[in-house]
Amino acid sequence: MTVLQDATPVSHACTIPVSDEQLWEMTATYLAEGMAAGERVLYFDDGRAGSLLQRLDDDRVPYRSAMRSGQFGIVPSTVTRALITGSPGELIAALDAVVTETLEQGYGSVRVMGDGSYGLEHDGGATMIDYESRLDTVLGPRPGRMLCAFDRGRYPEDVLQRLRAVHRHEIVAPAIYDDSLLRLTAPAPSTVRVAGEIDHSNRPRIRRVLDAALDEALRSHSSSAEITLDLASLRFLDVAGAVSLVHAAEEFPSTHRLVLTGVRSGVLRLLDRCGAPFADQLRIEPRLPPPDDDLHGDDPDDGDPHGDDPDDATTDEP
Amino acid sequence: MRITGTPPGDAPRLQHAAGFHSSPDHLVGQLLPLARAALGRGEAVALALAPDTETALRDALGTADGLHPLGPPAEAGSGQTVAVARARELRELTRTAGPVSVLGEHRSDLDGPDGSFWTEFDAAVNVALAELPVRMTCFFPEMPLHLCVLDGARDNHPQLLVDGEVRPNPRHRAPRDVLAAYPVAPPVLLGVPDLTVAFQSWELQEVRRAVRDIAGAAGFTDDRVEDVVLAVNEVATNAVEHGGPHAELHVWATGGGLVCEVHDTGALADPLPGMASPHPSEPRGRGLWISRQVCDLLHVWSDDRGTHVRVRAAP
Repeated sequence: MTVLQDATPVSHACTIPVSDEQLWEMTATYLAEGMAAGERVLYFDDGRAGSLLQRLDDDRVPYRSAMRSGQFGIVPSTVTRALITGSPGELIAALDAVVTETLEQGYGSVRVMGDGSYGLEHDGGATMIDYESRLDTVLGPRPGRMLCAFDRGRYPEDVLQRLRAVHRHEIVAPAIYDDSLLRLTAPAPSTVRVAGEIDHSNRPRIRRVLDAALDEALRSHSSSAEITLDLASLRFLDVAGAVSLVHAAEEFPSTHRLVLTGVRSGVLRLLDRCGAPFADQLRIEPRLPPPDDDLHGDDPDDGDPHGDDPDDATTDEP
Repeated sequence: MRITGTPPGDAPRLQHAAGFHSSPDHLVGQLLPLARAALGRGEAVALALAPDTETALRDALGTADGLHPLGPPAEAGSGQTVAVARARELRELTRTAGPVSVLGEHRSDLDGPDGSFWTEFDAAVNVALAELPVRMTCFFPEMPLHLCVLDGARDNHPQLLVDGEVRPNPRHRAPRDVLAAYPVAPPVLLGVPDLTVAFQSWELQEVRRAVRDIAGAAGFTDDRVEDVVLAVNEVATNAVEHGGPHAELHVWATGGGLVCEVHDTGALADPLPGMASPHPSEPRGRGLWISRQVCDLLHVWSDDRGTHVRVRAAP
């Protein structure tokens, strides 16, 4: 078993997220990389695709135009469940057919991710383990990639260990902090991505992370005069949390600035009520409408089947 | 709405006087010179009067220029909620019109079971309007149905209007002492809740989820759901932070929106929490203040079982 941080070079890997925030972070990153690379991208849904699409929007991935062109598809729950409860042979044949269809459509390869948790309910994961152990025979020689996510919250430890054993590669995504309500990651220097909810139970973490980021920025010559908190995936902030962000900015040395990006409207209203407009060293960048939304978007006629438009292919994710 | 800072040091702060009358004519006879004097100073005059009184005053003045009738109290039964709504209206008015004179009148239809509504309302006015350049005169009948209305009025108002003159009131006491002396009747019980969630400090997300689901199902807009979730979260946070480890959320979905109650077993340190606009540098006390701004009703009370907060929000 090789442990990697980047799933792109391998054809078949597993990942074991500790929280929903990590699950959607990894799913969105994996699928967005495929869209940006011009691959065909499929997500096998089991009722939670809304969370995935929300995260893709947070990451400003132009998935709508990829959906319209057929590059990105969400396979409905009924199909996902039928495949998981069928025989491993049927599953392998179906995946093989997907690769063939992909090539016929003119794409170079296909990238697959999905929600297989129904397999647990069905037979405790036995079929899935069998299926996973044979996947390399399809994905090895053919142009397809698959990342299998088994979240700790849903899969029992013994099943996780057996699933892990049938994958040659495991992908990990390190975090500064993850308590399953709030996940903090460092996607770039002087930048912390905040995903989830901040309340009484985890509020002091934010201040600690900010202090550490500032400390590091002050020690290093080359680092930025701006500490950025990416709040695109922050769905709830309580009043004391908002006050502590405003106070943190006010206490920054005059050389440095706190920048909040991707701020959702509810969080923005609260920050306004907590004195943010009067904090000189605080800059707030509100969340923008999706890059390719028909209602707001700048390029509603985008029909490029391979999504290789340079404007569309950029994401904020590493 | 944005936070307003404290007005400059020389700005007039709240003047809050009580006057008494023996008849409607006696009342209008006292209102008229106050209104004329305020209009003469170039001030706006805000009115919280019964419709008949308002008409009589306007007729006597011969004009409605400079008069601003305040909205009727939407949440009779909660003096603290009505005081918050008045503070919101008057903050806006003073921002655009400068100092404001307010003429108010006791109305028996708001008495509730024992008239203690007025005691709580005037105590809350002293806190909620403290920083505003407002000259407020409240008139009471000399013989109200509930005599406790007079006791509360005589203790709550820092000034008295006697023979047309405003004088310091020697009986005036701080809001906390007045409310300790004249307990306010608890609100009417609401019956069995549609949903009960017991929670501790690390389970606030369960509280938010419950409120989010019910408000969403009750037809609240996304922004409104977020406001109500925030308000209840702050009340619930206070409960587990100050009240004790175990607290309980009760939710009722009514035709007009959502009612939530949070119950904890702690004692209430401040009988009127979250009434005053917090200073930007003050880290505490802002949660409940913001909750009061976004909800239609936020009523805090306590008894020997603990502290209770009722929140009501329309879609």
